[in-house]
Amino acid sequence: MSAVLLIEDDDRIRLSLAMALEDEGYTAHAVATAEEGLTAQRRYRADTVLIDLMLPGMDGYECIRQMRRDDDVPIVVVSARDDTHDIVAALEAGADDYVVKPVKVKELAARLRALRRRGRSAGQPLPGTSVQTFGDLEVRPEAGEVRLGGEPVPVTRTEFRLLCELADHPGLVLSRQQLLQRVWGHEFGDERVVDVHVGRLRQKIERETGSPRHLVTVRGLGYKLQP
Amino acid sequence: MRPIGLRARVSAAFALGALILSACVSLVSYESVRNTLFAERERTAVRATYYDATVVDAGIAGPAPDVLEVLRSLDTGTDRYVLLHLDGRWHSRSADLAVDTAVPPGLQEMTASGEAGAQRIRRDGRPALIVGVPLAGEAVFYEIVSLGELDRTLRTLALVLTAVAIMVAAAGAAVGWYVTRHALRPVTAVAEAARGIAGGDLTTRLDPATEPDLAPLSAAFNDMADQLARRLERDRRFAADVSHELRSPLQTLEAAASVLDRRRDQLDDRAGAAVTLVTAEITRFQALVNDLLELARTDQPAHREPVDVVALAERVCRSRELPADLVETVPGTASAWSVDRRRVEQALGNLIDNAVRYGGGPVAVRIGPGYLEVDDAGPGVAETDRATIFDRFVRGPASHARGDGDGTGLGLAIVAGHAAAHGGDAGVTERPGGGARFRITLPGAGT
Repeated sequence: MSAVLLIEDDDRIRLSLAMALEDEGYTAHAVATAEEGLTAQRRYRADTVLIDLMLPGMDGYECIRQMRRDDDVPIVVVSARDDTHDIVAALEAGADDYVVKPVKVKELAARLRALRRRGRSAGQPLPGTSVQTFGDLEVRPEAGEVRLGGEPVPVTRTEFRLLCELADHPGLVLSRQQLLQRVWGHEFGDERVVDVHVGRLRQKIERETGSPRHLVTVRGLGYKLQP
Repeated sequence: MRPIGLRARVSAAFALGALILSACVSLVSYESVRNTLFAERERTAVRATYYDATVVDAGIAGPAPDVLEVLRSLDTGTDRYVLLHLDGRWHSRSADLAVDTAVPPGLQEMTASGEAGAQRIRRDGRPALIVGVPLAGEAVFYEIVSLGELDRTLRTLALVLTAVAIMVAAAGAAVGWYVTRHALRPVTAVAEAARGIAGGDLTTRLDPATEPDLAPLSAAFNDMADQLARRLERDRRFAADVSHELRSPLQTLEAAASVLDRRRDQLDDRAGAAVTLVTAEITRFQALVNDLLELARTDQPAHREPVDVVALAERVCRSRELPADLVETVPGTASAWSVDRRRVEQALGNLIDNAVRYGGGPVAVRIGPGYLEVDDAGPGVAETDRATIFDRFVRGPASHARGDGDGTGLGLAIVAGHAAAHGGDAGVTERPGGGARFRITLPGAGT
């Protein structure tokens, strides 16, 4: 049974969502503040984290940042805010996915399943794929690691999955929708999720983030990985 | 009639001023040159006539003089004619008989009274000067001096002066144009800044220091831009707050309803029916909240980026479980457009949903240069409803027939809003062969 940590300050949402998630087969641990959430995650190590952005005290963005420092657990933002600024800021803070309230419980469960499916990553090898080299960038799906100039680069599970997906098609352009489908399991989703993850990855694997060499944008089409 | 612009008016005024000034100068200089030249010519002519007169006087002094021989002995060149009125008869060197009628009667009277005189005349349409000198007895000696050459000189001068006047006027217009360009540069800057703001860049401001004379204008403009930005920010925040306030209880309802739904078999029929109602209404309420918030934000500027519109349209079709081959591309249409991806996707989705709900499903999704069309083979839209159908909370008649697919009544208003954000518009016409054809135009998509 999969464990979910739910950080939500609205009592009614917390209660109802926890019940509904348990109906879907998850063990839900629900807390009301970011501080409690950080403590709970250190103690219980949930498989996935659901977090609201507007929290009393420490806000959701800060909570995501702090949690990301030592944990690559998939984090899904469940927020009533659907403004581009909020979505991008949450993703840039380190969230893996973003859903806008009210989200259907079945859809939320489907997203969590997708996250778990792609949970095999950094440190958890993907079978059946070999080392891919792009200049000084090395993607090692077997070992679950990324190296830049021989040095291991710390990436989250989602970033790693994204990189592996691109590395599987060297030099080929993958559209944002293809990436959303393959990495996030969204049939039709918000392409900003891909853009922000690409931006996060570039900060880790590109020497010059402004003019990326490996992970390049093909205007109007998508992204590709090249030496 | 289109009003004449400030620059054109200032340039015209400059040109007119320059023209008047140069015309005056030209006229004055022309007159003075003309007078000087004529006076000079007159003096020369008079002097020559007097000289010739003394020769003639001496020649005819004797008895029975050979007048013609005397006249022929004068050295007159080609531009002077001599006439002698002697004993009531006219004498000239050639058989040019018209010359006697050329002497104006006034001059004849004057010389008859014993005074010498000169007068300007026209001879064969050309200016000439006639000088009359009374000789001894009743004889009068006349010389006609052609002023043709002087006239030609003056004509050339007039031509040159006119050309100069025109050039000065043109130069005046050019100076006016140049000066106004500089004078209007701050206004151009204001216009550019306003365009920037209209285009969505709310950070555009003018620097009052660059044009001290127009500092009040810059300050007022900046103030306006500040207020606009504040207002938009307030609206945005309001929409965000409303969304939060409405969506949070909806999330509780949604989650609680799903808990109830899972236990439907433990409920009796009435409770089950109630759960069905609650679930359906939550879905509808959620759609309404989303559409209302979307509509509240449609006036925000479009966030353009390169988008493969064909792929987008196919995706929209697939997401609604419609075949992707509904999408047709008009030949010659580029597939990469510069548009707001999310909003075009939503606009197209709403049009397709509309076709499903009221038109029996779309029969074609067409992508043409700068426009998108969705055709259905339904009852079409009555001519009288075509203008209002894009208004808020307007629903077609079919919506009441199908309870499950009930729309929010905001879908087409959102479509119109998204099109307007791209500088385009939305409209509906009749589809050839029956049904409705909805079209949105997206100018500036770079197709």
